[in-house]
Amino acid sequence: MHKTAAITWIVLLVLTLASALFSKLESKYVILVILILAALKFLGIVFQFMEMKKAHVFWKVLIIGFLVLFVIALLIMV
Amino acid sequence: MGLEVIPNKLQNNRLNSFGIMHTQEIDHKNIYYPPGGILIWIIIFLELITFGATLVVMVYYGNQESELFHDSSLKLNATYGMVNTMLLLTSGFFMAISVTELKRGNKETFKKLLLFAMLFGCFFLCLKGFEYYEKINEGISIGYNTFFSFYWMLTLFHVIHVIVGLVILTSVYFGMKKENSNTVIEDVEASAAFWHMCDLIWIILFPIIYLLF
Repeated sequence: MHKTAAITWIVLLVLTLASALFSKLESKYVILVILILAALKFLGIVFQFMEMKKAHVFWKVLIIGFLVLFVIALLIMV
Repeated sequence: MGLEVIPNKLQNNRLNSFGIMHTQEIDHKNIYYPPGGILIWIIIFLELITFGATLVVMVYYGNQESELFHDSSLKLNATYGMVNTMLLLTSGFFMAISVTELKRGNKETFKKLLLFAMLFGCFFLCLKGFEYYEKINEGISIGYNTFFSFYWMLTLFHVIHVIVGLVILTSVYFGMKKENSNTVIEDVEASAAFWHMCDLIWIILFPIIYLLF
């Protein structure tokens, strides 16, 4: 369990660094990449640290549904 | 009566009305028992919806006043934001492994790891305080412009959540320190879920406030 948590933690740190570096680039896809990286970090915390992977499918669908709606709403507003 | 902890099996130890401790397993696959309990998850969803909706509104205003938002975001130090994200993630990591240790019955290791989780939470608050100090010294307060109104409102609400989280974790730490502790694993899981919620909120705040515009 600690190994999985440690791997998740390192991946989350790398994704944070990557999103900061990507934000410096001049490209029309930067916003999309930043949002995807944030969404991946969100899922990492929810499923590994909060142990949502053990929960009933209802809660998994609910949290993924929130994330998808949030990202879509942001992409529409940008 | 001793507290028997079976590895990888959650137990809910409570005293009944006759003062006799009884143990029941918590099945997280049950729709009513997500990790931490249904009530904390209702709070988490309400918080995420509130912060999420405000961020969407912020991006909408950012689209309307793109130049102002771009210039204002350049006044923020993205490195502070990135380091703060890493501090919260590290705190979340210690929190997650501390809960695992408690489930294995290692109460002492749990307490040590919980202290580390709280310490990194305090580091986050220190850096945030330093950032606020810099902004106030530059004359950038809540009414400076639309961007900074959102910045102060969202980050201050988040800071309040982190402070509340630290108070909860401190109470869990001292609760577990007692000889006859009545803190149950479900309470610890709910506290951990609240702490991770602070990570989740920051994870969606950081890219939008510091990087998007």
